[in-house]
Formats: sequence, structure tokens, C-alpha cells
Amino acid sequence: MVDLAVSLGSLRLRNPILTASGTFGHGLEMRAFTPASKVGALVSKTVTLEPRAGNPAPRISETEAGFLNSIGLENRGVEHYIAHTLPEVAGADTRIVTNIGGESVADYARIAEVLADREEIDAFEVNLSCPNVHGGKLPFGTVPRVAAEVIEAVRAVTSKPVFAKLSPNVTRIADMAVAVEGAGADAITAVNTLLGMAVDWKSGRPALATVQGGYSGPGIRPVALRCAWECARNVSIPVIGCGGISSVEHVLEFLVAGCTAVQIGTASFADPTLPGRIAGELDGELARAGIERVGDLIGTIRDGREAQRG
Amino acid sequence: MPAPPSDARLLHARLVHVRPTGDDGVVLRVRPERELPPLRASRFFMLKRLDGTSPMIPRPFSIYRQVDGCLEFLIKVMGRGTRALAEAPEGAELSVVGPLGNGWPDLDGESASWVLLGGGVGAAPFPMLIEASLARGVAPGRIHYLLGAATKGLLYDLDWPRDLAERGVRFLTATDDGSEGFHGNVLGLLERLWDEGELPREVRLLACGPDPMLHAVERLARERDLEAWLSLETLMGCGVGICNGCPVPTRPDGPLGAWGNAKCCVEGPVFSTREVTLG
Repeated sequence: MVDLAVSLGSLRLRNPILTASGTFGHGLEMRAFTPASKVGALVSKTVTLEPRAGNPAPRISETEAGFLNSIGLENRGVEHYIAHTLPEVAGADTRIVTNIGGESVADYARIAEVLADREEIDAFEVNLSCPNVHGGKLPFGTVPRVAAEVIEAVRAVTSKPVFAKLSPNVTRIADMAVAVEGAGADAITAVNTLLGMAVDWKSGRPALATVQGGYSGPGIRPVALRCAWECARNVSIPVIGCGGISSVEHVLEFLVAGCTAVQIGTASFADPTLPGRIAGELDGELARAGIERVGDLIGTIRDGREAQRG
Repeated sequence: MPAPPSDARLLHARLVHVRPTGDDGVVLRVRPERELPPLRASRFFMLKRLDGTSPMIPRPFSIYRQVDGCLEFLIKVMGRGTRALAEAPEGAELSVVGPLGNGWPDLDGESASWVLLGGGVGAAPFPMLIEASLARGVAPGRIHYLLGAATKGLLYDLDWPRDLAERGVRFLTATDDGSEGFHGNVLGLLERLWDEGELPREVRLLACGPDPMLHAVERLARERDLEAWLSLETLMGCGVGICNGCPVPTRPDGPLGAWGNAKCCVEGPVFSTREVTLG
């Protein structure tokens, strides 16, 4: 029996598998596919202070190696979340991470404050990086100082663990990671979607109503892995890898690269049993490799030149 | 919070056979790992091949028929997802997520006449509905099934509806090019039936087909103050309510409430025109 438990700040998880925000509802409604008890944590879709209608259709489009989306953070706002979602997740046999979003530092602080004392919530993930609001301008996701302000504001109103979810759409993600660590984040989620688009040249029509959107799925895994690795080697807080993960091997690759945990995202659309199934396969995979604790694998990536010699 | 139906599961299935139908269609017969109880027509499944030839995201298809423990799907071959399924060899392994969605309402009401409007591959959810309704004791004379398409080859499988017609259901076809049945579309055919006194003015409408047809059905229902249900097709990323990629605009004064979008997959795909609007 391999010890699969990991810690993200003060939050202890039974295993390192989380669902990614916006790809698994609030999680409990998916119990027929992945029971809550199988995963380390369920991460909610982004909740904002006010309801958001989201973007017009078409909101999604599949490409050769991934998936474009421009949902626009459709959600019914924090009051609805408190009244309808939290009662549903109360007592869930897993950790509940609430992903929060906002349009200003004050927004983030306010929503964190409103939710700070809710005991159904085990941790917050701060969405600094949704590409589908602000016309794709990513104001909080690309400037280290601004990201730090958001995290500081959230940190100031809650004692729960705070994860900062970073965008890959930056020049140096390590600068972002260092900034949010300095601002008091307990963990970093790396990464959100890449900005992307698709167009039909014959009709001239873009695939998404908003033209550009977030690109996710298998095609972004190498980018996500690089981002997560770069974060992990520049900060001392845990990193949660996210991007294109769809098998237990992918999970282990992210752990070797320095991640403490991972999130399963787009792959759940094709197979909503996947988060639970991958979590179930971890034990056997690690046991076969003679690894007794999942923690022993984290960050064991070798020097590149040395690795070539086998 | 809309959730996937409680009976929805991910099932493995094997392709039993692919039968070509019409100009560009197939009927896919698949055997899921376990037999499913009788399903409501116009519920759907997300299908993909498991051998890597299908795109990552499965595609939604209405259940066409249940037979011998198998599920059949009437599929118009349009792109990568449908082509991979249509070209799958017998025995191919498939992933089948479902049953999903709500399905048609029961054709109830002692004196109501039900007009079923199908357009092209939008025929898929109708024969099973008629079959189930007859089995429940609905009088066949109260069911009027009008199926239209651009041309004869896009009406697909006509054998089953013709069998139903022999049991007393009215079945009429319409084609834009006049190659089969009424020369025109199903709305034109419906108007003609009304003009000729062949149909009561008070009917309930069910429709499934291309967007322009459904727009026209919605307009007709509003103008004539008729009850109507539309089985909608949208892009879908998951089918189970988690991707938010299938919004359908709701009517602000409608029974779904003030929220501007319904999720086609878990709140539909069948909506009353009191609930949603195609704009």
C-alpha cells in the first residue's frame, strides 16, 4: 500500500488528484462517474461576487490536439453558491476547494471575505488567469505586482489555504510564482489555459464567438509541464500541475518535475470517470516502481545532460 | 444546479454493425457492456471510438432505436467525429456516455393531436417516440409525423416510419426538390394540411431538425399560440453539464427562471418554446 497523501499548505489530501476548475461542475453531481471519495479534492468552477451570464455561443471548439473554450466565467454569483452549492458539497468525502474570480482587487478580497468562514470550504483557489474576461487582457495574470496584490488581499481575510492559479500567457512564469509566494499563497496551480483561436478560412468565421479563448487538452501538456517545473524550482510552496493530463503516467511526470499534486481538466469532458480512475491507478503504478510514498517522487527530475546517459 | 441524469454512466460498447442509409447517413448498432432499460426517445449518448481514431471529445447522438440489447444511432456523416464512427470496423470498442438529457414529453391528452416535425437527420428521435406512444395506448390517428429534407436521400430510413403508417399513424414526407412527397418543406406541408382541413387547428408540435426549421417552428408556435417542444442540437464538450459549452438562451418570463442560459445537455435537449428561444 503506497502512501498517497500529500499536503498543500495546511491542507492534507488523501491523494494528489484534484479536478480542475471549470471542468467538473462543483464535483458532487458527478458522483456516478467519479465519487468524491476517490479524489484528493474537488475544485469548483470559478465563483464571482455578482452573477455572470457568460459569453455567447459558440463557446467551445475542438482542434487537432485540444479544446478551445470561451465560457466567460458563467456562474450565478456568490450568493447562489452559498445558498445552493455549499449545502450540496457539505459533508463531501473529500476536500472542497472554491475557485474565486473578480474584476478588481477589491472584488477578490470581498468574495474571499464572504466565504472565509464557510466551513464547507477547505481552501481557495484564486483565478488570476481566466483568458475569457477583460477581452483576454489578463490583468491579474500577467503582472507580478498586481497578482501579488490580489493574493495579499485574499490572504488578509482568510486563514484557509490559498492557491494562486497562474496563466501560462506570460514571458516569465517564475516571476509570477515568486510574486504570489511572497504575497502569502500556500500553493500555486500551474497552469490555466493558453490563449488560442481557430478560424474557418472559407467562411471567415472564427470558431468561438469571442474569437480568442482558452486552449487546453493534450496539446498543452508540454507547455504546462514546463511552466509547472519552472514554478516549482523557483518557489518553496507546493505546485499543483495542470494542463493536458489524461493518464496516471502524465500525473507521475508532473510529480517528477516538481509538482505536489495535479488537476485533471479537459480530459474529464471525454471521460468523467477519469479523475477517479487515475487516482485509483496511482497506488499500483507506484508500487510497481518500488515507491512507497508518493512524496518520494516529487521533484526527482534529473539534470538534462545526465538524463541522456540513462 | 443542473446535474447529469442519475442513470447516466460511462459504458464500454462494441460496434455490431454499420448500415448505410440515405445519401450520407449510417445506422450504427452498438452493444453496450450491459443492457439498458427502455429509454425515452430523444435522450442521447456521447460516443467515441476507443482506438484513437475518434477526436478526443465524444459526439452527442440521439438514441434511434433499442433492439436486442443494442442501441442504434442514426448519424449523418459530417466531420471527423461522425466519420470515425461511420468507418469503424465491426467489433470496434466504443465509449458510450449516457443515457443523457430529458427526452420528449409523453404524447398525452385525450383529444390532442400531435404533429411531429422532423428535418433530415432530425428524424432520429421520432420513430421510437411513436412506437412507445402506440405501446402506451395513444391512438395512432392522433399522431401526424411530417418528415422533410432537401432531397429524398436525406430523409434516411423510411422503412420504419412506413411500418408505423401501416398501423394508423399519419406519415408524410416533404422535400425541397420535390424528389419525394410534398414539394416544399415540412412547415409548408403543415400549412397545406391545415388549409385542406386535414388537421385540427389545435395541435401540439414536436420538432427536431436544422436551426432555420426550428426557428420557423418556434415562430409558428408563438403566432398560433400552440404548445411546442424542440429537441435541440448544440456543440457539446461533455454532455454531462460540466463544460458549459452548450448554452441555450432562456425566455426571461419562462419556467426555467431568470437565468439567461439553459444547458442543452442536462436541461434539454428537449425544451418547450415557453422555456427557451432561438431568437
